[in-house]
Amino acid sequence: MTEKTKRERPAFNKIISAAIESHYNNIQTNRPMGYALMAPNPLVEIAYAAGIQPAFPENYAAVSAVKHLSRKYCETAEAHNYAPDICSYCRNNLGYVYDSKENPPFGGLGRPDLLLLTSSACTHYFKWWDALHEIYKIPMIYINTPRVMEPQAMPDYYLAYAIREIEAAIIQVEDIAGTKITHEKLSQAVTLSGEVVDYWHKLLDLQKAEPCPVNLTDISNALFVLIALVGKQEGVDVIKTVYDETKQRVTDGIGIFTKEEEKHRLMWINIPFWFNLGLFGYFEKRGCVFPLSDYTQYIWGTTKMDGAKPIESLARKALEGELNSSLDDQIEKMLVDIKEYHIDGIIAHSNRSCRVLSVGIPDAVKVIQKELNLPSLVLDGDHTDERVYSDANIMNRIEAFLEMLG
Amino acid sequence: MSNILEHMARVIQDASMVLSKTREETGCKMIGIFHPVVPEELIYAAGLRPVRLFPYIDDFITEGDAHLQTYLCSNVRAVWDQVIKGKYSYFDGAIIPRSCEAVTFLYQTWKRHNPYPFIDYINVPWKRSENAIDFFAKELGRIKNDLEGFTGKEISEDSLHNAIRVYNRNRGLLRKVCELKKAESPIISSTETLKVVMSSFILDKEEHSGLMEQLLAELSKRSQGPRAKVRLLVTGGCVTDARLWEMIEDCGACVVADDVNNGSRSVFTAVNDTMEGPLTALARRYVMVPCSFNTANADRFTYISEMVMESNVHGVIFAINRNCEAEKFDYPNLDLKIREKFDLPTLHIETDYLTDMAPLRTRVEAFIEMLNAKGG
Ligand code: SF4
Ligand code: SF4
Repeated sequence: MTEKTKRERPAFNKIISAAIESHYNNIQTNRPMGYALMAPNPLVEIAYAAGIQPAFPENYAAVSAVKHLSRKYCETAEAHNYAPDICSYCRNNLGYVYDSKENPPFGGLGRPDLLLLTSSACTHYFKWWDALHEIYKIPMIYINTPRVMEPQAMPDYYLAYAIREIEAAIIQVEDIAGTKITHEKLSQAVTLSGEVVDYWHKLLDLQKAEPCPVNLTDISNALFVLIALVGKQEGVDVIKTVYDETKQRVTDGIGIFTKEEEKHRLMWINIPFWFNLGLFGYFEKRGCVFPLSDYTQYIWGTTKMDGAKPIESLARKALEGELNSSLDDQIEKMLVDIKEYHIDGIIAHSNRSCRVLSVGIPDAVKVIQKELNLPSLVLDGDHTDERVYSDANIMNRIEAFLEMLG
Repeated sequence: MSNILEHMARVIQDASMVLSKTREETGCKMIGIFHPVVPEELIYAAGLRPVRLFPYIDDFITEGDAHLQTYLCSNVRAVWDQVIKGKYSYFDGAIIPRSCEAVTFLYQTWKRHNPYPFIDYINVPWKRSENAIDFFAKELGRIKNDLEGFTGKEISEDSLHNAIRVYNRNRGLLRKVCELKKAESPIISSTETLKVVMSSFILDKEEHSGLMEQLLAELSKRSQGPRAKVRLLVTGGCVTDARLWEMIEDCGACVVADDVNNGSRSVFTAVNDTMEGPLTALARRYVMVPCSFNTANADRFTYISEMVMESNVHGVIFAINRNCEAEKFDYPNLDLKIREKFDLPTLHIETDYLTDMAPLRTRVEAFIEMLNAKGG
């Protein structure tokens, strides 16, 4: 076990930080700019193909939580009658919208020219974008898709519906942007998106190595590329750098720990506590690394993007991923990956904001315990609303769990 | 109270007993459904009995929490609790829609711990385009196949048309009863109306329609009720607890219009199967059901506005269940618009399964007194 308090992060984090900063600069300057939902959203590639700059309020909510601003934003939203039982990402954003906006992070999220909505995650998606639509009175493009409970048995007409939704959206986007999205432009964006996805898979595979090359905080940092920069050459360049460095670390046997120091390989279920990323540092101090998380593994990048079939690829993107399937489907995936990533313990965040990723977690954990005989811990919390997080309670429980792990 | 109204109230009170007895006597298999967005006609046409699920006012949630965390709407958690406690032993299965998020989780949990032979999930579009209707019709086709597989019998075109006719008649009669509340001195109370509507979730539709015909005849002879001095509209998601409606009336107001899943949203409009095939006709009607999870705020406001004007509403109560994210999301904007456009006072109350009525009563009373002072 290590005595070091802070471990050196992989160098790629700096490149990602620069990409995030440049993204937020683009939001300020590029027009038209559209708010886009993050769950696998085919409108991101379409926006880039049309020269529209997407911006991501969910990401901004996470950024605000990291900077401990979510309390303020949530309270502002609540003062405007958005109840505390609404997901805190939404409250963060609505609070930001109504805020006086003095010194917001990254210079702010900007006022959108249009709204890019998909319904592939939760009920909040539709209601949230609809609320923004009422506030800003700007055009909204809406791709509605069915939920796919059993991806292996998805009926053909689900795909056909999604394809027609994409086709209709493209016409609307062309109208708003005043430009034609040619087959070439779309195909190029989808090809670039596909390259990011391919690198992402290779990157995740590297996490199977012992010692684990990078930690969950590094991977979730890189996730930004997979969500926000798909369809751009820049995205491919950044993710390639991330992959190359990580690959080199594996080749050189470099990890967060040395092989001997790496005491436990844990899986994190659900979104992290964004306001307390230091928690992962605490785990590192205790010799624990997180090579696997459903959050980085099953939500984005699950669709193979084929530039020769751009519309079909985008339609599949809208239908796939953890947020649009069932917990049973995730459990099956987890049972396979837990073995492949040599996981020896599970920490699940029962996130009261994100029911999609949380409801049924006790069931999932029970199944995993039964099948693989793994110790597990379920923590109650929220991904951005710090006010419902009890540090003392969480730390006690983690401490007890780590002692039990040995 | 009339015998028929009493009977309907008892049906709701003793739903479990009534349904067990029917299941035993008729042998007709029963399928539970949730929310007004599942096209029940399909189930009816398959020779099965669709029964709408809502939590019976019963004991506390004790076992359901093991599967569905407490930050989920308690309406859904209470239903699940009652399912696993074996209180719906007469069911043979369920068809659960993609309506609100909570119900989607109910499906997943139900499927994982399935106590009955049949379970299905139906994707309800959250959009009203022709593309969405076409998709929904195909989704209904899949459900039709699944039901045929379950019963071993084909669902004929004729039986679908017949089911549509049976349901149109029932909804038509229900709308007639709801209309009666618009009068200056309504001859039926809002609690009575709620029970008339909710008893249709349980009884066989033909039987229910028969009762409704008699009821309407009876009501036409009723002398006028007292003048509705304070006329309210209640809006929310699943406001199934009759105690709330009784309490509002008890405080001296009359709920002359409602916008809730177990009220007007359930009886809203007929299916028109004269121009197109029955599945498309069903899809076309059901995508229009104005629940919160599938309806944009602007469309909800239009729906509410019509009622406010037609029923001469004096105030609006938002009765929203804790953790009902869709309704909670719509509330701020709807509230603002109602106050701005109609200059109407509004009140927001949060409800829950087995909610304690006393604190709510204090607020409702004050609201109604204020309206009274304004002269209704
Ligand atoms: S509930 Fe979950 S999926 Fe929905 S907006 Fe919140 S974090 Fe995203
Ligand atoms: S009250 Fe709201 S959350 Fe609960 S079941 Fe009804 S619509 Fe869903």
